[in-house]
Amino acid sequence: MRKTATISNALRISFVGLLCLAMLVPMYLLIVNSFKDQQSILSAPFELNLATATPDFLIQAWNSREFSVPFGYLITCGLVICVNIVSIGVCAPAAYVIARSPKALFRAILLFFIAGMFIPTQVILIPVIFVLRGLGLMGTFPGLVLFMASATVPFTLFVFTGFIRLLPKALDEAASMDGAGRLYTLWRIVFPLMKPIVATVFILNALGVWNDFASPQVILGPGSGLYTVTTGVYASVGQYSADYTKVFPTLLLAVVPILLIFILMQRYVMSGLAAGATKG
Amino acid sequence: MTTETRTSRAELSPKPPTKTKRSNKAKTRAVLTEFSMVAPAVLVYVGLLVVPVLFAFYYSLTDYNGFPSQTPKFVGFKNFERIFESADVKGTMVLTGIVAAVGSLLVNFAALGMALLLQKTNRFNTFGRVVMFYPHVLSMLVVGFLWAAILGPQGAVNTLREVLGQGDLPFLSDPLWALWTMVGVIVWAQFGVQLVLYLAGLQTIPAELLEAARIDGANKWQLFRSVTWPALGPTATVAIITSGISLLKTYDVVVSLTGGGPAGSTKTLAYEILSVSFPERRIGLASAESVLLIIAAAILAFTVLALRKKADEGAESV
Repeated sequence: MRKTATISNALRISFVGLLCLAMLVPMYLLIVNSFKDQQSILSAPFELNLATATPDFLIQAWNSREFSVPFGYLITCGLVICVNIVSIGVCAPAAYVIARSPKALFRAILLFFIAGMFIPTQVILIPVIFVLRGLGLMGTFPGLVLFMASATVPFTLFVFTGFIRLLPKALDEAASMDGAGRLYTLWRIVFPLMKPIVATVFILNALGVWNDFASPQVILGPGSGLYTVTTGVYASVGQYSADYTKVFPTLLLAVVPILLIFILMQRYVMSGLAAGATKG
Repeated sequence: MTTETRTSRAELSPKPPTKTKRSNKAKTRAVLTEFSMVAPAVLVYVGLLVVPVLFAFYYSLTDYNGFPSQTPKFVGFKNFERIFESADVKGTMVLTGIVAAVGSLLVNFAALGMALLLQKTNRFNTFGRVVMFYPHVLSMLVVGFLWAAILGPQGAVNTLREVLGQGDLPFLSDPLWALWTMVGVIVWAQFGVQLVLYLAGLQTIPAELLEAARIDGANKWQLFRSVTWPALGPTATVAIITSGISLLKTYDVVVSLTGGGPAGSTKTLAYEILSVSFPERRIGLASAESVLLIIAAAILAFTVLALRKKADEGAESV
């Protein structure tokens, strides 16, 4: 009995280990080929030769004319922060009121928001253009922030409402007895208690915003001169897809920040996802 | 559960004391505060999500070409007729359906299998979970470019085959191959999310239940068949449908991996809308296609909600 258990466990571990290796092969290829010239990429893509490895191609990609990587990072980080500020800023008060008021109207509003979770956002990008044009925000950074934030509002509001309902009502009552207004109670008492759910929402929104391609591509457009990491990659890699000395280093530069953040925060990313999904 | 007890308690609680003029005023102010706190969220959500959906419905019934000078002319269901008559668009819709259905089945199959293998929490399994999940944090656009560089005619895999003395495989150049390559890449990139869901679902199965079955002499397969799988049922249905919804919108990976080709064999509906209809200024047609996708997503979404409600009621009756 004991013996079969160890054998099956050893089998399981070697099987999972092999699968892990297979999952990592594309990443390995991406890294080693970022340091080679076209000739050695084509003739020996799997080879890792430290003697001939050179950072030249990474430096070239960093300084590329089509896609200035630091600028792309800057715009994308700015987007992540602005979208989260708008989304969390508008959702926290709304979720607070919805969670605390038993009125049927607010329950209906919550349902109305939940329905939005299932709107395929990239598909409504075309009509969004006409709305943003009407507001004079088409092709601008604030327009993109507003649209991306609106896309995150349903989910954010939904999980916030669920979380606030679990917080004791006595807290609010004590605060209002002491003469605190609702906004003061929200931002000074309730919001600090929402840290775990805010962190979850921040991480999931950040992942979504960082990786989105369709929205910045359509809303910012080529005329604005603004590009994110994804649209920058599209501009430079799409154009030179046969020149692997451009493709691999550019892709590597595009994924390094998000991968590093993920490795450092993997526990929070994955548990946040599980919490968000079981709630949603 | 908790919310229900709370609302019923709120209904039972005594009504506020009789109103005086002053409390009336205070009440109006309280209501105004409430509305002003909800208003920003409603404004952002309605302005940039609900209104565009309504616009899509409206434009789908017109011949609009997007130029501000043209007033949209109402043409009824002509756009939809055109979609259902054109073999090209019909093929696109069938293809989107295949990608969503087959993709979500494969994603969930892989995720459930890995979840069972990585169920126990220890260092090795945590490492395995991270490795299985990492492609999801990469943008699908980058994933597509990366795999295009690996599987292309001069890519790593075909180079390796040449070294081994074998011929090239047409991963991206043969219509049928390209479709299944794309589905494979999507599964590679996406199953980590469902893996996390299944791991969460597995944790909710009571250990005593598994232990009891084990003592009764159930083998591993029987254990899975009669304890684990039924307990995971609700998780699985919801996971399959939600991944189906997200695969309905497949766009980025088409752009970077295949560009919709060869010969339109990987052109999904979202790709058709954003890269074909819209740049060709056929806003009416593109909107009609969007409407069809919104309806498909809505049908799936209502299925999720209904199933979830049923599962919750089932859980409460236990």
